[in-house]
Amino acid sequence: MTPSYLLLLLLLLSTIAYYLGKKRAFAVVKHKGGPKTLHSRPGYYGLLAAIWCGVPAVLIYSAWLVFESTIISDMILANLPTGIKALPADRLTLVMNDIKNLVNGNIISGEINPVIQSASEYYERLQSISHACLAVIVLIIAIAGFLVVWKIIRPSLRARNHVERLLKIVLIACSTLAIFTTIGIIMSVLYEAIRFFKVVPITDFLFGLEWSPQMAIRADQVGSSGAFGAIPVFLGTMLISAIAMSVAVPVGLMSAIYLSEYANKKFRAVAKPLLEILAGIPTVVYGFFAALVVAPAIRNAGASFGLDVSSESALAAGLVMGVMIIPFVSSLSDDVINAVPQSLRDGAYGLGSTKSETIKQVVFPAALPGIVGGVLLAVSRAIGETMIVVMAAGLSANLTLNPLKTVTTVTVQIVTLLVGDQEFDSPKTLAAFALGLMLFVTTLILNIIALVVVRKYREQYE
Amino acid sequence: MNNKDTSKRTMDIVQKGLAKRYKREKRFKLYGLSAIIFSLMCLSFLFISIFSNGYTAFQQTFIELEVFIDPALIDKGNFAGSNYQGIIKASLRNAFPDVTERRAKKRLYHLVSSGAAYQLQAVVRDNFEKIGQSVTLWVPADDDVDMLMKGHIDRNVPEADRRLKDDQVAWIESLSEQGRIEKQFNTTFFTAGDSREPELAGIWGAACGSFYTLLVTLALSFPIGVAAAVYLEEFAPTNRWTDLIEVNINNLAAVPSIVFGLLGLAVFLNFAGLPRSAPLVGGFVLTLMTLPTIIIAGRASLKSVPPSIREAALGVGASKTQMVTHHVLPLAMPGMLTGTIIGMAQALGETAPLLMIGMVAFIVDIPGGFTDPSTVLPVQIFLWADSPERAFLERTSAAIMVLLLFLISMNAVAVILRKKFERRW
Amino acid sequence: MKKSLLAVLALVFIMGTGNLWADSSRDYISIVGSSTVYPFATVVAEKFGKSTQYKTPKIESTGSGGGHKLFGAGVGVQYPDITNSSRRIKKSEFEKATKNGIEIVEVKIGYDGIVVANSKEADVFKLTRKDLYLALAAQVPNPDGTETLVDNPYTTWKEVNASLPAIKIEVLGPPPTSGTRDAFVELAMEGGAKEFGFIKAMKKTDKNKYKSVCHTVREDGAYIEAGENDNLIVQKLDANPDALGIFGFSFLDQNTDKIQGSFVDGVQPTFEAIADGSYPVSRPLFFYVKKAHVDKIPGMKGYLKEFTSEKAWGDEGYLTDKGLIPMPTAERKQFQDAVVNLKPMTASDF
Repeated sequence: MTPSYLLLLLLLLSTIAYYLGKKRAFAVVKHKGGPKTLHSRPGYYGLLAAIWCGVPAVLIYSAWLVFESTIISDMILANLPTGIKALPADRLTLVMNDIKNLVNGNIISGEINPVIQSASEYYERLQSISHACLAVIVLIIAIAGFLVVWKIIRPSLRARNHVERLLKIVLIACSTLAIFTTIGIIMSVLYEAIRFFKVVPITDFLFGLEWSPQMAIRADQVGSSGAFGAIPVFLGTMLISAIAMSVAVPVGLMSAIYLSEYANKKFRAVAKPLLEILAGIPTVVYGFFAALVVAPAIRNAGASFGLDVSSESALAAGLVMGVMIIPFVSSLSDDVINAVPQSLRDGAYGLGSTKSETIKQVVFPAALPGIVGGVLLAVSRAIGETMIVVMAAGLSANLTLNPLKTVTTVTVQIVTLLVGDQEFDSPKTLAAFALGLMLFVTTLILNIIALVVVRKYREQYE
Repeated sequence: MNNKDTSKRTMDIVQKGLAKRYKREKRFKLYGLSAIIFSLMCLSFLFISIFSNGYTAFQQTFIELEVFIDPALIDKGNFAGSNYQGIIKASLRNAFPDVTERRAKKRLYHLVSSGAAYQLQAVVRDNFEKIGQSVTLWVPADDDVDMLMKGHIDRNVPEADRRLKDDQVAWIESLSEQGRIEKQFNTTFFTAGDSREPELAGIWGAACGSFYTLLVTLALSFPIGVAAAVYLEEFAPTNRWTDLIEVNINNLAAVPSIVFGLLGLAVFLNFAGLPRSAPLVGGFVLTLMTLPTIIIAGRASLKSVPPSIREAALGVGASKTQMVTHHVLPLAMPGMLTGTIIGMAQALGETAPLLMIGMVAFIVDIPGGFTDPSTVLPVQIFLWADSPERAFLERTSAAIMVLLLFLISMNAVAVILRKKFERRW
Repeated sequence: MKKSLLAVLALVFIMGTGNLWADSSRDYISIVGSSTVYPFATVVAEKFGKSTQYKTPKIESTGSGGGHKLFGAGVGVQYPDITNSSRRIKKSEFEKATKNGIEIVEVKIGYDGIVVANSKEADVFKLTRKDLYLALAAQVPNPDGTETLVDNPYTTWKEVNASLPAIKIEVLGPPPTSGTRDAFVELAMEGGAKEFGFIKAMKKTDKNKYKSVCHTVREDGAYIEAGENDNLIVQKLDANPDALGIFGFSFLDQNTDKIQGSFVDGVQPTFEAIADGSYPVSRPLFFYVKKAHVDKIPGMKGYLKEFTSEKAWGDEGYLTDKGLIPMPTAERKQFQDAVVNLKPMTASDF
């Protein structure tokens, strides 16, 4: 039977195991005093049975499938006529592709070569044998697991403890995945960045004022000079993020306060989802909006005031990014403000303060750590935003704080350097990793500050 | 007597300041309201500009043609490859018999989309007996004709600057006088995959790709994210390591999405050998991206559950796990759902990480499963915006509208769920 | 110990779910490469997919340079089958590919002009190649007449050539990964630089210096690298009437109502002018095929046949409607035969 049906069968077996286990727990104590003599609630016995039935079987199943296709491929290759076997490894993958195409029933490239035909028939045979074995073994393990647990069900079996320990293991596994992602990213970014710093000294990168990385991609091409001073790029990111936050924080915070304190239920029920829609609009749409509507509008407005505004001003990108971030600040602050206990507010009202005074002097300070956390998350989002700035901000690194000029940001440079030419030993591509590393470090420092602030000032109520 | 004096003075002081305080109160409230109105105005401005660009895409111009299926042009041995284009061209010549000059004939053929030939092919394939007879077909018009009928091409601009020449405009006008050209509902947009011809392009391929990708992302990131949040918040010992982990996860939220794409390229494509451009790999990459958001939101909401609830559960005899699963988790669900909504919404609109794993490609066929090459809706929008044909502008806006509809319905479902569970302490 | 065991199991599980689908095989053609050829290749691919039972080829736009990198990495199912290119393959790329065991078949598909365009709301520019060189190069001859090179001091077009308007020099163009950039610096800028005698003489004495003088583009903000997305450049030109953009003729052809092409050396960029060679900035377009893949990947022969058929790239073909300038009949026949015979390139072709 096919692997996917097997998985479904396993699920079914586990469910049956649950019910049988539970029944067994009831049965064991029927004449010895009833369910109250059981150590744990009967459901736990069922759960234990289900887990030991399903989990080992699934693990064996995945492990089998990991190796199945490689083993079968190797066996097929060993059986091919010597002429084909002598081909270099890459050509062999093409031959295997042909065989697999035939097996899967896809259209193949030429007429059906008898060698390929017999190889694919052999492949199918091997595959069905393998699947049959898999099914048998997995079912045996599942049933064996269930029977073992079934046998040991008695009142003194601490089923709940076992189940909870298994649950904790699952939780640890999931956190491990999250941690592995972090580690994986840090490792790969660090590794490539170190290779970059071997070519371009770190002081040049951190303190250099010239950024023109578009070096030649071939020996006989002439590109840019290859200066890798990152300060203009970071300044650009900071500038645009600052503009974005100066829009998002006041608007978001005030929206959150209004929604949680003043708005009636109907208004809140309508406004909150609408604000969340702002977060959901794809950033490409914001990017186009910024590039085609906001930027020319700012340019024309500037021209009418006599100012020289670039067609890709930082102001345009920053404003649109700010609008995009409003819901982040608003949503998270809203949740935090809601979490401040009503008793604090009631106390303030009882003393005669107006609503705004309560908010400004009681609620806001109480919610402040959470709000700071939310704002920092929003800053992280602003710094890491890619598509809006790719379309609305420029590509030339300008060392300026003037929002009316064009600047480039770290994310734009990473995109430009990595899309297209992906040779992993030119300083150009590695520069992207170095930028990523610096970005990482900056936000790391920001987050540490946030953590310290929140931990130090967090109030524990009740 | 002294008491009365002091209390009067305090009351006076309070009374005097009261008006100012009420005014401040009103102003504060106004700031809040205007903040919300500002955001909503931005939202509506965006929607209005998209809608005004996109609503015309839901109609497509069709031309009624009398097509004579010439048996001489049908190759009995190869129906699929027969010259249906030639049959269509002949029927156009019959409709306008006075067009003879070669370049003018070329312009005449351009009135009708190249998809007409495929439509005819399908008709012949299903009705062999029609060979040798005349059929009346409503065929899609070319995208320039479509733009003219919708008013996007200005007829008053000098001919050299226009995509449609004067004689083409004259033919279109004669067709409309005969009632043989009209706008009908554009079903192709919803049923077809990508295409180079705007009148044949649709979003169904990208929509299926998005659906599969998001399914994978949700199925993976929600359980893993919640589990990780629960572990980190409730069970993990508080020491430097967990601090470090918390800081790292917060950091991941700031990593530019394209770096996740690189990680996906290195691990999933190069190391594990998964197929390129598949929704499965896209889902994995987006999972990695959404995990930090869900974990952070999950932890925040777990933190906000008051200790009194936890103590009460423990006091009644629950074990720590039972306390978490039966008491804390359900109360923290609304916050976790918020995080998941924001995370999924982010994932739905992501383009950058999918660039690295090959989903930014021209893919015409509709994906049938998790491993068929496909693209996603935001990438489709990005690619269409790249195309020079004017008709793609309205289709891009229409696709954006569809995407937003997807999003809003997702949001609505989550909001309903959250409202069911929300409480205030 | 338990934790590490867990981690191992988790990893196995993940790989397991992945390999559940590893049995899938590639039954479609994988194409990468130039963003200029992309509009043409996608039309052919779609027609091919609709009229045969094969799957439609998957085409990615990575830039000519990026395409050659991916293409030349090796033979096998995980590498692309065809790369599009808006310039001829360079010798170094050919050598790298040969080292990896690839036999390349070159197919020219037609010609394309590179235009310098601006918004229709502004006046048409009448440029010469010399103007382009003086406006965009990093180093230009000293304006005082001595035969030395200085960093480019010009900020407005009027300073470069008194007959041009007094607008700030702002040009949006492709990055070095783009074949269009390579072609532009070779045809337009080098063509302009050669008009200075002392620079032309450098070609014989110091070839590297000659190349760097002719091909290096200024980095002080007047030339903005606008990425591979040519249509975005068109939209930016629409929004900013003072800017000029550099891209392929097909984009101009499809947007004649919004932008206009500048005259270069007195010739306006039109289909006829590029076809008969009077417009000086035009270059051929190619695609390159891996010979080893042609029999193994389903549909490749049919796709090649479709692309090289008269109804695609002929004088009345559908690619011409998209802005491709067709080759003369004899050249077309030559490459039709090349696709049937699959004669690979050799080092002597350079």
